[in-house]
Amino acid sequence: MAREFFLRLAAERHRAIVGTDLVLNQHAAAEDVRRDGAGLGRVVAESAARWKTPLAIPLMDLRLEKADLLAAYGMDEEEADRFHFEAGPAEAVYPEGAFPERQRAQIEAISWVATNTDLLPMGMVIGPFSLMTKLLADPITPLALALSGVAAEDDAGVAAVERCCRLSEAAVLRSVKAQIEAGARAIIVCEPAANVVFLSPRQLAKRPGAFARFVLEPNLRVRSAMDAAGVDLVFHDCGHLDDSMVRAFGEVVHPAMLSLGSSRTLWQDARLVPRDVVLFGNLPTRMFYSDADMPRELVARQTRELAARMADTGHPHILGSECDVLHVDGASETIISKVDILLCEDRA
Amino acid sequence: MADLQKLYDAILDGDAKTSAAVIHEALAEGADPVSLISGYMVPAMDEVGRRYEAEEYFVPELLLAARAMKAALEPLRPLLAASGAQPAGRVVIGTVKGDLHDIGKNLVASMLEGGGFEVMDLGADVSPEKFIDAVRASGANIVCLSALLTVTMPSMKKTIEALDAAGVRQQVKVFVGGAPVTEQYAREIGADGYSETASGAVALARRIGN
Repeated sequence: MAREFFLRLAAERHRAIVGTDLVLNQHAAAEDVRRDGAGLGRVVAESAARWKTPLAIPLMDLRLEKADLLAAYGMDEEEADRFHFEAGPAEAVYPEGAFPERQRAQIEAISWVATNTDLLPMGMVIGPFSLMTKLLADPITPLALALSGVAAEDDAGVAAVERCCRLSEAAVLRSVKAQIEAGARAIIVCEPAANVVFLSPRQLAKRPGAFARFVLEPNLRVRSAMDAAGVDLVFHDCGHLDDSMVRAFGEVVHPAMLSLGSSRTLWQDARLVPRDVVLFGNLPTRMFYSDADMPRELVARQTRELAARMADTGHPHILGSECDVLHVDGASETIISKVDILLCEDRA
Repeated sequence: MADLQKLYDAILDGDAKTSAAVIHEALAEGADPVSLISGYMVPAMDEVGRRYEAEEYFVPELLLAARAMKAALEPLRPLLAASGAQPAGRVVIGTVKGDLHDIGKNLVASMLEGGGFEVMDLGADVSPEKFIDAVRASGANIVCLSALLTVTMPSMKKTIEALDAAGVRQQVKVFVGGAPVTEQYAREIGADGYSETASGAVALARRIGN
């Protein structure tokens, strides 16, 4: 099980980043590689070597399951990126058959890593709640109406949210199953939209069951599919969260590893999360492109502070990025130099 | 007599049905549209903004309030147009080329509308050419550019440069915002203003938009 592996890495004070995009963009034919399973697998392995980790962390591309779902409605990948249902799909069409090109490459990359390397093959999917938010032009207002007690029968927007939730879960489960079959031993479920922007804590306090219904229960069903195959869950949410959300992710979803964004103070979150859940993160890597806002000295200082404070808590922790460390045109060298500080600063 | 406090409260509570009902009642009684907006609706949205800043309200409450505001504004629009009343300003807003995220942009658009601005929302993934065309067509005096991704922030700079090259930069103030954007970055790319929040954007537009 990957949980023990993550716990061992944490005990060894391992550090890692979600940084395949940075390495991919060093390649001249980056766009072609995104559609080539073996090529992408090689880049994942190259990325693991570059960042000195035994984890084969895939390219973070949270558009894949949406493209797969919308292919069932006859849309191509480019169209799918931009498409939103105005009032929810009139008819539920579930994805089946062949995956779109980019997603097929992601799945084949897992298989390539599992076959050709000693790395831990990892998969990645968008979470069902976050996928639902990508299907609707405005998911927040109907969701807020649902949370205020408006029923699907009384509001077309609420009905659309509920229908899109079901479709999203089906698309995520299909992707998870394919990644398990390809050899993934842990899968990162990314739920960045499960946050206080989409879900008002004020409303959730009045209807505590709503968070379970829209976020936790779908993710538990996804986890069940992984559990059945002996595959561990890594849960990632870099959104703005309140304490009750972090606690629910740790205690209820209970992933092997929980990855949080830099809006959270990780050493304070350690008390909210069970001790067998490794915490991952969470330096503000999104700002690494900017020397004005995130100079190297600040990266070094924050790295030292995070490592020391987490050591004080005694909570298993892998120091790393807050999310995908994206390539930014013209800033690659700056970003990579700061990643190197994150990975090496104050190491014995 | 229509209870206009109910109009204020309905916007604050995000109750679109009540806000529209009170407006219809008030108009039937001959109320002045401009007084309804300036006396109750804009102050209600200002209070929504204040509560958001104080973290008493969150984005969903903001959007529900904007929806209630919109429901109340709908029957007033033809009356305002007929009377020749001017908006607080004309805004062209969009998420820049290459970026498909539009939640932050939608929030700013809603809050600006609630603040009495006329808003032309171009959506997401908007090319510099579309911004230029919209400025020319609408006579806007404010352009708001949004980006959520570090990789798409350079599109903000390109859009500002394109506005300049097209000769429309001088007629507008350009404001930028989005999660990775900072005050420093705004200055570097030649924007006129930056706001971290949607209600801050309204204050910015009121302060330096005109």
